[in-house]
Amino acid sequence: MRALIAALVLGCTMLIAPLALADSPPEPDTTDAGVQEDAAEERATQFVGVRGPEAESIPGGALLLAAYAIVWALLFLFLLRMRGLQRQTAEELERLSAQIRASEGQ
Amino acid sequence: MSRTRQSGNSTVWSLVLFATLALFAATLYMIFIVAPVEQQMGIVQKIFYFHVPSAYAMYVGFGVSAVGSAVYLLKRDPRWDALGVAGAEVGTLFCLIVLLTGPLWARKAWGVWWTWDPRLTTTLLAGMIFAAYLALRSMGDAGEVEKRFAAGLALFGLLDLPLIHFSVQRWRGVHPTVITGKGGGLESEMYWALGLSFIAFTGLAVLLIWARASVERQREETARLRLELMHR
Repeated sequence: MRALIAALVLGCTMLIAPLALADSPPEPDTTDAGVQEDAAEERATQFVGVRGPEAESIPGGALLLAAYAIVWALLFLFLLRMRGLQRQTAEELERLSAQIRASEGQ
Repeated sequence: MSRTRQSGNSTVWSLVLFATLALFAATLYMIFIVAPVEQQMGIVQKIFYFHVPSAYAMYVGFGVSAVGSAVYLLKRDPRWDALGVAGAEVGTLFCLIVLLTGPLWARKAWGVWWTWDPRLTTTLLAGMIFAAYLALRSMGDAGEVEKRFAAGLALFGLLDLPLIHFSVQRWRGVHPTVITGKGGGLESEMYWALGLSFIAFTGLAVLLIWARASVERQREETARLRLELMHR
């Protein structure tokens, strides 16, 4: 019985393997290292200044303005939050001091 | 704290504050007046002068948070916990700046607001880890267990920082690598603007962490007093 099952498994494998191989994607013609090197080479590795007048195809002024506005707005909000925390703590300290004075007076 | 030490701290604080303000003025002058417009990307490249130093300030904030958390776990001293909270908040602030200014540059440079580049993804991950830290600490008055768990989270977040830094070199990605020594790099005026911006942002990060840690220590002290009064 075990020999029959083994024969069936072997037969199925022999039938399926060629079909699976036929559907597999073609092998890439470059090595992994080569592809990695290409991707690395595509990155920007240099910023070059404009020499002479040159117009932009897409005006980036609005994007630049938005970025700088975000920086200052977030910093301002953080400072406001810190001021709020400090005020809250000062009020709490004042309240606790009053409580301590009252308890010592009793 | 002695009066002399308080006075000394106040002097150092004022010095750092004025130096940072002066550096920011000089940085803005360098960015918009001296540094040339980039050939390929145009004026939008000037986001780079705040984006990259913000990323650096984010490292400083998260690094300080991890150090504060590690020492807190060892010594259980609330002053180190305050430093951990301050670093996490300031780091998250700069992380938010990085994650919002980056897409504005990318829209012009790559044509998309966001892509799952390794550096972008690992930066987002760091932001999420420290946002979880802050969420945990913001649930009312944090107890000892919450503080220790949050400290562990900050240490876990620290593991992500080298991933952000080296992801651009190790894995395929589209993020620029203009200041890594490879390629043409930057023009000298660009280097000056970026260098000044780095120093200004370091000063800003130090000031913010310092101020926030001081507020956190006061909050800890208030909570301790409240507890003492309850048990009287």
